[in-house]
Order: sequence, then C-alpha cells, then structure tokens
Amino acid sequence: MPPRNHKNWLATPDIEHISSECYNNYEVYQQELEHIFSKVWIPMCHKSEMPKANDFRSTQIAHRNVVAVNHEGEFKVYLCPLVDRPSGNGISVEGLTELHSGVQHGGMIWVTLDPNPVQSIDEWTAGAFDCIADAIDTEEMEIFHYHKAIIETNYKLWHDTNSEFYHDFMHYHNRVTGFNEAYFARKNIPFANGHVNVSSFTVNYEEYEGFEDRGELSFPNLPPNQWYMVDLFPGFNFNLRGSAYRSDSVTPLGPNKVLIEFRGYGLKKDTPEERATRIEHHNSIWGPFGRNLHEDLIGVAGQGTTMREGTEVRNILHGRHENSTIHDEVGMRHYYEEWGKHLGVTPMNPLAMLEQNDTVIAAE
Amino acid sequence: MDLDLEKQIERTIYRAALALDTQQWNDWFALCDEKFEYAITSFSPEINKDMIYFSGDKKELKGLMDMLPKHNTDHSPLHRHTSVYTIDVAKNGETATAVSSVIVYQNMLDGQNSHLDSGESRLFVIGHYHDKFIIKDGMAKFAHREAKLDNRRLDKGSHWPI
Repeated sequence: MPPRNHKNWLATPDIEHISSECYNNYEVYQQELEHIFSKVWIPMCHKSEMPKANDFRSTQIAHRNVVAVNHEGEFKVYLCPLVDRPSGNGISVEGLTELHSGVQHGGMIWVTLDPNPVQSIDEWTAGAFDCIADAIDTEEMEIFHYHKAIIETNYKLWHDTNSEFYHDFMHYHNRVTGFNEAYFARKNIPFANGHVNVSSFTVNYEEYEGFEDRGELSFPNLPPNQWYMVDLFPGFNFNLRGSAYRSDSVTPLGPNKVLIEFRGYGLKKDTPEERATRIEHHNSIWGPFGRNLHEDLIGVAGQGTTMREGTEVRNILHGRHENSTIHDEVGMRHYYEEWGKHLGVTPMNPLAMLEQNDTVIAAE
Repeated sequence: MDLDLEKQIERTIYRAALALDTQQWNDWFALCDEKFEYAITSFSPEINKDMIYFSGDKKELKGLMDMLPKHNTDHSPLHRHTSVYTIDVAKNGETATAVSSVIVYQNMLDGQNSHLDSGESRLFVIGHYHDKFIIKDGMAKFAHREAKLDNRRLDKGSHWPI
C-alpha cells in the first residue's frame, strides 16, 4: 500500500471515527459545560474527607462553586458563591441553594447542578459499578491520598486513556506485569449513559523487578491481584487494583486545559501497617512519583499539543473491533455516541451541527 | 557543640543536592547509610491529612534508579536550591538532625511545546528536607530524609527523587 498523501489523510475514513474538533473548540467546550457538566451526576468528593460534624469540602462544577457539608452524618451539597477554602469546619448554609445530592458507590458524594434531575444516582450509573460493588461497599473506605494536576489538554483525552487500553504499551510496568492471554481477553463492557467498565485479570506484580505479590491485602470479596476499572461519563474514573482504590475526576478549564484530581483510598478498619502497605502499593503505580501516572500525563499532554486549537482538523479512528476485548474501541465508540447525544451533534463533524443548531435557534 | 561536625553535615546536605541535580545517583547513595530511608510527603488541607507521596529504602531506591530508564519520563532537569536552617547533634555525638529549606526549579526540556518551552525554568516544588544522620567514626551519613512538600498540585512532573 503506498503511503498516504495529504488528500488521503483528510479523506473521510470508511470506519468509525470522530473529528479532532471535539477536542479543541471553545464553543464545543461551552456546550459541554451547559449540556453535560451542568446536567449529570458528579462524584465531587468522598465522605471521609468530611469525617466530623460541620466539616465541609468545596469544589467547582461548570464554573460554579459548590460546597458539601456534613450535618451530623447527613451530607448535603449547596451552591456557594463565596466559598474561599478547599475544606474546613463550620460554614453557614443559610440562604444557600441546596442541590440534589447523595452518598453512593463506596461513600462518594454525588451532586448534580440540574434542579430537576431525570435520573437517580443509581439510574445514572446504570450498573457500571456492579463489578466492584462487593469490594467497595462491604467495608467503609477512607481517603489517604489527594493531589491534582493541571494539564494543557482536553478533558476527554484523559478519559480516553482509561477507555482505550492500547496506550498500555507505553507503560513499562504494564508491559512486564500484565501482557498475557488473560490481559488481552479482558472485556470492555458498555453501560447506559456512556459508561464503560473493564473486566479484571490477575496482575503479576512480581514480574516487575523490586515489586511483590499484592494478594494479601485485597479489598473485601476481591480475588488476589485483580484490577477492575469503571469509566464513568463524562470524565470520572474508578480504579481498583486489589489492595488500593483510586478515583480521578476532571474539571474542564477550557478546550485545551483540564484540572485532574487524584484520590487514593484504603479501608477505614486498616491497621497502621495495612494502611502503610496500601499507600505504598498505591504510590508505586499511581502516586505523583509512581511508575504509571506520570507516563499517562506525558501522553495526554502530547496529544493536547498536537490537537490544540488552530491545528489542522483530522480524523481519529475508532475502528478496532476485537470482540469487545481490551484493545477493541467499543468503549470509545460508546462514549462519543453518548457525548454527541448530549450536545446534539455528531462527533464526526461537531461544528457543522453546532452551527446548524444555532441557525435553527436564530430562526425561531 | 562540634562545629566541625556541623560543618560536615551542612556540606553533606549540599553535596546531596548537587548529586541529585546531576542525577549522579551513586554519589548520592555514597552519602547515605546502608539503612537509609527516604520519603516524599505533604499535608493536604483539602482532605486534612498527612500524606506519603513516595517512600523507599536504599535498596529500593537503587532498584528504582535501575528501572526508571526503561520508563517514559519527562527529562527536564531539576535544580534544588537548598538552605540549611538548623543542625542539632545529639549529646552522645552518634546522631544528628537537620532541617533545610528546598526550592526545586524545573528547567524545561520536554515541555508542552518543546520548541517554545525548552530552556525555560519554572518553579517545580517547594518544601523542607527533614534529615536524620548517623555518625560513625566522625563521618555523618544520611539515615533518613523526608522531603516534605507544600505542593499538592503536581503536573506532568518527575519520576525522580526530590
């Protein structure tokens, strides 16, 4: 096959694809804030971040300040225009607008800016957590890790790294500990509302020099050294690697800028020795100085550079069909189908349809 | 008060900074006792907890330095500006502790856009070194280092010890 020239490169592919305009357009970003982040259920923090009565924790969703408050063990969330601290104890909620919220799926605090949500939290998550429910809901969890990164890339590119697994080839750790038949047989399983989870397999940690088997401290009801992942639309990821649990949440700051917050969890009942081991296991791969996280951030930073606004529009192929196994792009196709529905566009040509929608609104 | 010993400890801290800056890991390990332990920590007001971001003993660190070249990493060099604030030698003269301020700059190489970014220096992290020394035969060696960072925001950054 001759090499593709520029014309070939820009031709419409005859397989599933999306446009790079999904990742770098300011109007698309604004539409996402309005039609996605202002509508869906957001896992804003974990209840163990507010263990005492009157503890509060703040965040920002679609540029609106939000605060969760522990009212004697009952957690409520409010719009809070003036919150100036990430956390604390004692905040007046008088006059604040309460938002729909709840505690679910391992003690996460869920909130939506939508004053009239059409789905409950359970209906929204649609069974995506079922594969790890026995592990994260049997014992109370406790947060032990928090850090954040601001990366000049689109938030969906971060979520994509958790949806396509062929980027695992860039992780030396995953190449040596994971690339076996069971790894390649892992299934991507789509759920309603754009969510996906990735079935488990046994990770051979001892194959990485200096690492040991991690089976001894598995989460409840989880066989040793398993690795499950839940990718929740539009950008929240829950990762259970046997002995430690991690969640990532995104806050888009622009079409090419995202805040990613990373949390790590153990069990509340951990002994100090158990907790120390969980933290070590967490950090070795997922910590800010761990083996894999830094590599993922390098990857999405590079993607952000090559797709920044003004670069030539190109097609991103989602055409791998491999019986839904680990490198099948079924998760990507599923996500972007949902994304298009929320914005009323096709991801293959989002701007044309946004312009069309604007014209219709103007005519009305 | 043993001023010679204090001076030697101060020089050891500065030599460690130089060895780390130039990634001369063996020079750094030579300044450390065989039972040396290292940690990068931070306190998070967000979750109101002391956190450990990284930890390992000398053997684990040596293994890490052997493995990291196999990984993808940001190769922007780090420059540690260290000021030794306090040195306290135990009365028996067998141990000592020291606290130093540290500011780490990242001299961009693999930036977001290396054509634009490379050569630029950015503030990377700030914090303190909390060091413990073991003194044998008049020689002070690192027994423990805690690099206690103020940062909780750590962007595309570093696999390497601070």
